Amino acid sequence: MSDKEVIEKITDFGKTLEKQISGSNPPKMTIPVRGFSNVSFDKTQNLLRLGSKTSNRNFLNIAHARKFMQTVLISEKCKEFVSRGKTASIRELYYQLKHTIADTKENTFEDQSESDPLIVDLETSLGVLREELHLKADDKGTLIGNIVIEDSGDTIDCSKLGRSGLSIPSIVEHYKFKKVTGDYILLIETGAMFDRLVEEQYHIKNNCIMVSTKGQAARGCRRLVNRLVSEKKIPTLMFTDGDPWGYYIYSVMKAGSMALAHESKRLGTPSIRFIGMTMTDIDEYGLTKVTEKLKDVDKKRINELLQYPWFQKKEWRTELLMMAEKGVRIEQQALASKSLEFVAEEYLPQKIKESKFLP
Amino acid sequence: MAAGTSNTVKERHADDLFKEFKEVSVTEFFRKNKAHLGYSGKVRSLTTIVHELITNSLDACEEAGILPEIFIELKQLGSNHYKFVSRDNGPGIPVKHIADVFGKMLAGTKFHRNVQLRGQQGIGVAGVTMFSQMTTGQPLIIRTCTGDNKVYEVKLLLDVMKNKADIVEEKVFEQAWRGTEIEGEVKNVQFNLGDKGPFEYVKRTAIANPHMKITFIDPEGRKTVFDRVSEVIPDPPKEMKPHPKGMDTDDLLKMAKTSIGRHIGSFLTTSFSRVTNAKVAEIQALVSFDLKKNPRKLTWKETEEIVAAIDKIDFMAPPTDGLSPIGEDQIRKALINVLKPEFETVVSRNPTTYSGGVPFQVEVAVAYGGSAGRKVGEETRSEIMRFANRSPLLFDPGDCGLTKATQSVDWKRYGFRDFEHAPVTICVNMVSTFVPYTSAGKQSVSGEEEILKEIRFALMEAGRKFQRYHSKKRRDIEREARLNTLLKYATELAPSVARLTGADDEKLLSKLESLIRRKLKYEVEQEEVDEQLQIEDDTAGDDSTEVGGKEAPLVEEVSEEDEK
Repeated sequence: MSDKEVIEKITDFGKTLEKQISGSNPPKMTIPVRGFSNVSFDKTQNLLRLGSKTSNRNFLNIAHARKFMQTVLISEKCKEFVSRGKTASIRELYYQLKHTIADTKENTFEDQSESDPLIVDLETSLGVLREELHLKADDKGTLIGNIVIEDSGDTIDCSKLGRSGLSIPSIVEHYKFKKVTGDYILLIETGAMFDRLVEEQYHIKNNCIMVSTKGQAARGCRRLVNRLVSEKKIPTLMFTDGDPWGYYIYSVMKAGSMALAHESKRLGTPSIRFIGMTMTDIDEYGLTKVTEKLKDVDKKRINELLQYPWFQKKEWRTELLMMAEKGVRIEQQALASKSLEFVAEEYLPQKIKESKFLP
Repeated sequence: MAAGTSNTVKERHADDLFKEFKEVSVTEFFRKNKAHLGYSGKVRSLTTIVHELITNSLDACEEAGILPEIFIELKQLGSNHYKFVSRDNGPGIPVKHIADVFGKMLAGTKFHRNVQLRGQQGIGVAGVTMFSQMTTGQPLIIRTCTGDNKVYEVKLLLDVMKNKADIVEEKVFEQAWRGTEIEGEVKNVQFNLGDKGPFEYVKRTAIANPHMKITFIDPEGRKTVFDRVSEVIPDPPKEMKPHPKGMDTDDLLKMAKTSIGRHIGSFLTTSFSRVTNAKVAEIQALVSFDLKKNPRKLTWKETEEIVAAIDKIDFMAPPTDGLSPIGEDQIRKALINVLKPEFETVVSRNPTTYSGGVPFQVEVAVAYGGSAGRKVGEETRSEIMRFANRSPLLFDPGDCGLTKATQSVDWKRYGFRDFEHAPVTICVNMVSTFVPYTSAGKQSVSGEEEILKEIRFALMEAGRKFQRYHSKKRRDIEREARLNTLLKYATELAPSVARLTGADDEKLLSKLESLIRRKLKYEVEQEEVDEQLQIEDDTAGDDSTEVGGKEAPLVEEVSEEDEK
């Protein structure tokens, strides 16, 4: 969508409100409901999809009034960013809008946690992407390996960035993939495991591109993988901790998230497969001694995952039920109990050789 | 034994002994019964003095049909040593009666008059003479004039030997004035502003007597005036024949002995209410002797039989026209005058009877906000003002049925989240020809079931009225807060929309503001409709039905699902 179209959409949004007020009607906006109740799982595409449920935000409803006012302030500020050709971080947006309401002691925004969800509200209700609103989040995630990217005229060879790799920005739409020679992408949950594999030169020895999500993957990271896979048709594997949190991070990379279900197509990568850690790894590699006991929150989370339609594949049900039964979780770094090199020299190569992946 | 010394024991004449005995008896009577007469404790004794002075004035004014105007002043002379002055605009006291009123204990007792009287406590103003004489040795000074320009000033002591006034000094001077002024000194008493002190007594008397104007100057020189808010002098209570139920053997026998009836039958029909010839026949059937007997020859045994028979027979409830309640309107005026509450309601029940025969009536009031409730330091506490026949009961609240009935009400139901600390004053006036006090101190009413029930019903009705007021007030406050919130956000929203579209921001803002105001006004109208329905519901309901709060439905409330 062009900047001009975005500006028009925001202006139309304002016009609707103006019309309602001038016509003595309560100002209202319609926002798609985000969350489990309005998400469905598309099995054929393996993607989460946003349903058609919407909610009304009514300014005259005291419970909605503040959010309503805040949403409009955000839209106005975004219109300004787009008009001026500037892109701001969501934190900058928060600071730009935060001020004391005249004759009160109350601020328009008290905390960034107030503005962040409203940005998504605005995206979904206008049908405009965050980057199209000229907003970006902090960088999160790292990439290293045989890939050359063109960024605003500069060329970045990600195999020549030392051990630190490329910090993945929030917006990757402008990236052009000049040359991708890696055989596959390895997605890694933790930064520590990523560092271990870099030191073992896994990506060089195995000619792959490694990406660390550093916990739950940010939009930029998810979009980058989505683009690489769809544009370069490159196979992708994911390596997480063997616990419900790791598995959920995998499911978000693969099928998208509930909060951003409207963007699953751009953010989800259904072809990703899962390499580890699995519950069977515990017995197969003799890791029983280095497991950790499940806490109550872990158990609760397992039960939640078992309810999600996108966790109903029998392999995943088996993993989750086994985890609940064993009552333990296994971290990626537990492999270090064998040796520091074990993960790079035996665990991963063996799994890949035998194609022992979960869907 | 040595003879001739002046210290030898000598025999005393019986007259001497008797003299001493008599002297002891009046003083002793007072000392022994001090507590019952209200003279126990430093604060209470002073309150009792103020009570006797005010009651004396009020009774005199009301009997003479004069709107009372009373002045009371207390001055501290030393530690636990005070001077008191009282003045009224009453009819004055004819000079020949001064000695009896002030100088004779137990004179003119109200014994055996079946009349609702204010002064059922204490022993009258002669007790004041006695107490000040006992503690200071000083006489009471009385100035009085019946309006004939001759003011009599009398200084008198109480002659404890003869139980009559001992006039120390007497003079007459000319002055155009009518009324009575009493001045005296007292020791072993103490003034305070607490809920048992003289000021509280004055304040409560003002609430129960809206036709009175009273000025009170405390020992610190603080002057408080409770103005008259009603020009209606209450009718003096009528004397009524007692009802046979509730009579005990001793009472009945005493009445029979002084009866002039020719036989017991006629004695019963003429001396009691609701006793007809048919009832006498019923009694006759239950006793072993002939009721044609001379009543003055009745024996204790026979009297017991009659009392037992009366107990078994149903009589019509006694007439209630002897009761003189304060009246809803009068109480309301007095409450507004004294407490200046933000809300007050008065509920008066119909007269009824307890223990089968004693007529009584209950009046209650609930005052909220203003200076209702008690301030204890920084804290506000709810307070219960008890009255028996308009007279404030300040002491022994714990044992009192009026307190118990008030505390038995579930005040939470009526919007008092924390009743103990609510700025609320509850007044309960129990009006009866015979108030059933728990003890001779006459400061607490016994918890007869019928009395408790009447008070509860009255308070529950008052509670419902308060609740309606309170929930409306709460809604008003909430609505005001909503209005302010919406107006506050409107000042951000309207200009922002205007900047998005290029519209005129001031026009848009005023449009939005009127939209907000219109919505909230619509809500008020809705509530008023609901309120009306609620009142109709209430009045249709039975006494004991309690109606819970009903929220007005909100206009067009759209809920938002907010999930992460």
